[in-house]
Amino acid sequence: MNDKLTIAGKQLSSRLFLGTGRYPNPYVQNQAIEVSGADVLTFAIRRVNLQNPDEDAILQHMEGKTFHYLPNTSGATTAEEAIRIARLARASGLSDWIKIEVSRDEKILLPDPIETLKATEVLASEGFIVLPYTSDDPALCYRLQEAGASAVMPGGSPIGTGLGILNPYNIEIITEQLSVPVIVDAGLGEAADVTKAMELGADGVLLNTAIAKARNPVKMAEAVKLAIHAGRLSYLAGRIPKKKYATASSPI
Amino acid sequence: MTLFINGEPYELNVTNLQEVIAHFELQEGLVVTEVEGNIVDRSQWLETKVSDGMKIELVHFVGGG
Repeated sequence: MNDKLTIAGKQLSSRLFLGTGRYPNPYVQNQAIEVSGADVLTFAIRRVNLQNPDEDAILQHMEGKTFHYLPNTSGATTAEEAIRIARLARASGLSDWIKIEVSRDEKILLPDPIETLKATEVLASEGFIVLPYTSDDPALCYRLQEAGASAVMPGGSPIGTGLGILNPYNIEIITEQLSVPVIVDAGLGEAADVTKAMELGADGVLLNTAIAKARNPVKMAEAVKLAIHAGRLSYLAGRIPKKKYATASSPI
Repeated sequence: MTLFINGEPYELNVTNLQEVIAHFELQEGLVVTEVEGNIVDRSQWLETKVSDGMKIELVHFVGGG
């Protein structure tokens, strides 16, 4: 069965998008990436630390491997800032994909819907492959698709909280409504959350903290990989309807 | 001359953007440059002259989700 995820014409070998922040060290990070099977990796764009230029230069640890790069616009508080970061990211020559991330409040890091929509419109019209990180609002997700998003990435819960999917009803509505892929991004905390996202019809998941900050990131990377597989199969198989009363499974 | 690089003043004896990158010993393939708010492609570094008081941003990919 060919059940591959395709975004903007690019067929991906995994339904996992993996973040590259906050791992204990580059060695563990590389191991976790390898075990996870992810071929889309996310990054942030920041000023070079001129006192110590190699300190954060993450790509130097990834030489010789081919990944699909998904830079994000984290740190942006307006559409304008997100657009600037996206253009800088594209000038790297590494990718024309961009994860739009615009937050006004550092405490909750929830996406600003208006600015996210504005940035999506502009960057899609400039030819970027746009994947906005957004709140789990079905109407907004639909508007992002209309604005030219190649995939839409509603959050399960605020970034790094590990609270899982706070509104499964909304996520399910979103996956039903959209024709572009839906990637559940942010807030997932463990394998069970990943399976749930896939069972709700998500086309993929994006994780960072859940793996990077697990007691054993490499084991969690493997768990997430298996959870995606299990959840996807469960979704395709189709669950039974929930009922109030029993139905005997043995003949009466 | 004084250049304002990533928000900080630097006294550098350079004439073009390529020399700025070389001064800080940055890995060329990994850095993206912005001069006075405009992105300058790597292929244009050598011919991009810098002058006193210019604002330059040097950014790169870091870990993130």
